Amino acid sequence: MDISRREFVAFACSTLVSQTGPQFAYATTPARFVYATATAYDTIDPHKLFDQSRSAIKQNLYDGLYRYVDNPPQLIPWLAEHHTVSDDGKSYTFHLRKDAFFHDGTQVTADDVVYSMERILALKQGPSSLFRDSITPGSTQAVERHKVVFNLNSPSAIFMPTVPDITVVNSQLIKEHEVNRDWGEKWLARNEAGSGSFELIRFSGATGWIAKRYEKHFAGFNKDPIDELEYRVVLEANTRVLGLINGEFHGAEHLTEDHRRRLRRAGNLHLIEQEAMRIFLIALNDAAPPLNDVHFRRALAYSFDYDGLINGLMKGSVIRNPSPLPRMMWGTAPDIKVYDYDLDNAAAELKQVKEPLRPLSIVALAGFSEAEQAAVLIQAALGKLGVESTIQILPWPILLKRLDRLETRPDIFPVWRSAFYMDPNSWLGEGFGSRYEGQRTIAYYRNPEFDKLVDRALVSSDQQERRSLYESMTRMLTEDAASIFIYDTKWFGSYSNRISGVRYSPANFGHDFRWVSMAR
Amino acid sequence: MRWLPFFLKRLIWLVPTLFALLTLVFVMARMMPVDPAILLAGEASSPEQVQHVRERLNLDEPLDSQYWNYLVAVLNGNLGESLYTLRPVAVDIMERLPATIELTIASLFVAAIVGVPLGVVCGVHGDTWLDHLLRIIVVGCAGLTHFWIGIQFQIFFAMELNWLPLSGRIDVEPPRNVTGLYIIDSIASGNLDALVSAVRHLTLPALTIGLHAAAIVQGITRNSVLSMIGSPSVRYLQAMGLSPTLLNWKYLLRSSLAATVTWFGLAAGMLLAGVVVVETIFDWPGTGNYAVGSIMYADYNAVVGFTLLAGALFVLINILVETAQVIIDPRGAT
Repeated sequence: MDISRREFVAFACSTLVSQTGPQFAYATTPARFVYATATAYDTIDPHKLFDQSRSAIKQNLYDGLYRYVDNPPQLIPWLAEHHTVSDDGKSYTFHLRKDAFFHDGTQVTADDVVYSMERILALKQGPSSLFRDSITPGSTQAVERHKVVFNLNSPSAIFMPTVPDITVVNSQLIKEHEVNRDWGEKWLARNEAGSGSFELIRFSGATGWIAKRYEKHFAGFNKDPIDELEYRVVLEANTRVLGLINGEFHGAEHLTEDHRRRLRRAGNLHLIEQEAMRIFLIALNDAAPPLNDVHFRRALAYSFDYDGLINGLMKGSVIRNPSPLPRMMWGTAPDIKVYDYDLDNAAAELKQVKEPLRPLSIVALAGFSEAEQAAVLIQAALGKLGVESTIQILPWPILLKRLDRLETRPDIFPVWRSAFYMDPNSWLGEGFGSRYEGQRTIAYYRNPEFDKLVDRALVSSDQQERRSLYESMTRMLTEDAASIFIYDTKWFGSYSNRISGVRYSPANFGHDFRWVSMAR
Repeated sequence: MRWLPFFLKRLIWLVPTLFALLTLVFVMARMMPVDPAILLAGEASSPEQVQHVRERLNLDEPLDSQYWNYLVAVLNGNLGESLYTLRPVAVDIMERLPATIELTIASLFVAAIVGVPLGVVCGVHGDTWLDHLLRIIVVGCAGLTHFWIGIQFQIFFAMELNWLPLSGRIDVEPPRNVTGLYIIDSIASGNLDALVSAVRHLTLPALTIGLHAAAIVQGITRNSVLSMIGSPSVRYLQAMGLSPTLLNWKYLLRSSLAATVTWFGLAAGMLLAGVVVVETIFDWPGTGNYAVGSIMYADYNAVVGFTLLAGALFVLINILVETAQVIIDPRGAT
């Protein structure tokens, strides 16, 4: 059949025009939830993911022995029905439920839990850092088909808070895809082997992933559950906002207060506000002079304009918190030292500084205006003390390399600190204890008395004693102004009005969608 | 066949060009102040974990040894594996390249159907009010950034009118993968839903790039038409009594297109190398964002692999354009 150029152009135009217009309907299922995320997924291996943004994979496609829900976070039994601890505090026995099945229909057994633990330790990425001191490879045992024992090297008070990070994978399925005993590393980077509330349909590193509801999940579902869950990579924040407003997306993250103001004006959306366990502080390198002088650090803490940042620049969207622990976490002493903006106190402290002053380096995280604003404020504070400083704005990968070694570490950097697990040690011990020096260290605080408290709190099984120890730590850190503790963030969830039942927890970052209902 | 030696000579030069490119990018990638081992080990990793990752990926080997191993692999047709996706870089790129090719073709198509006719009109009516008016509009369009145009299109066509989707490449099941170009694949498989969805998603990003490019095409075409309009050949055709329409849109346009075709060749190469801003605004899953992400996270093999591919494409397209020019005008065959 011959078609002239004119006919072809006419056909092409008519195709376009005939399909434009509001009468066109998308071929999507009624209960398909599209969540716009700014985070690209290079892998969906649950034993490598350990960041907040991509925790959705673990929350929705996989299950753990226990699970955190709600705010403040509650640890509830999940794949395990219950557990017992030996008298010496070194053996944890978990009794698995028998009605849990992986997406291919095989039953979840103790062998799968053992395999998962060994895989986490062998890959040495992501959550493995939580268990490196406490669990030796080969020590975990499947004593019965539905009973598994974790044998710890020594008693550990933080083992239970880290149990939800032992994501259980289908060992038989992965073994079928192992190549050269690689623990199925390549295969699981793009496929899933879980028992979670949703099972993967499609994954693309470029566009995100889509999963359908796993109807046989042992926990069942609420009324009108989500049928299909799509995490779509939408890098541009403005596109995420527009997509929420016109209903193309039903939820989105990584939005600023300016974006939220626009969303509040839209009639088809609602915002959920919760206090998060994410603190913001100005991290100081306590090992570098003159920051190794407690009087200089205190002078700096007195020179910072807290109100200007919280109520001025951030318009009250965060909550002042002078503690190194989030307000929602137990362990802060009621009588910690609180620093307010007071130049007289700052001058008095500065007079006692013995170290010679020098120009200081400030590094702020690129792409986060709050960090850049805090950097400018701390530079102004240094200026009031007569100290010169420079600000560098660096992307996260470069800043991370700078933080890896004491020699390359900046003197000062504003940073957020979320929990690696729900225990005060995640902020206090890991942030300021010498035993955790490296990337996780906030300040190279290096106080032997503090280290003793950290070590004791890690092995104590007495909750009252632990509380007392952590309260002592918060007193020490604030008295010594180990860093400048500024505020707690809030979590804001932006959702379509069709969505209800979101159960935010500081441990699930709002990514656990199994509880959610979606109006048809 | 005077173009054949020219073509072969240029093709031979492709080899040292790509070798130099590989060496340069290999060294530059490793000079970046980013340690992929730290990123891969994950947040809160211990120094031992980081070292373990470094050893596993051979990142602790001397640079010359890493370079030699990579060179041997490339000569064997292996661009290596991505440090993060654990897949061959070639597979990662090929997953995204069709999206970029489709967007490039559509954008150039928009640039051609808008820019060329406007250029002819301005050239034929040079220095009239129509010429001045169109040139003001065109210069204005050329001065706008992709970022601004893209967002305005989203607000108008997706939000106000609700005619077109805001972002993405398709919102139904993609057509059976043959070429990776959704429009062609959906036509080939007779999948009308996929065709409509693909065209609707492609429209705004293609218009964003295409209208911007059309401004440049218009300028080049106008100048060529102006330089040709007084030539003896055109005067002869006028004297022969050809109608203005036939003269302008067939003979004058053809003889004025050489510079425009050259520009299209260069533009295609540049667009294939990645239109990061437009891909970001419209969530177009092309190679631009992949390249930026790879650079940001020091995914060495991905950075070098992508650069090699983009470089090879750019050089090849240029060779083809230069060869086409030689075929049109053999005086350039040197």
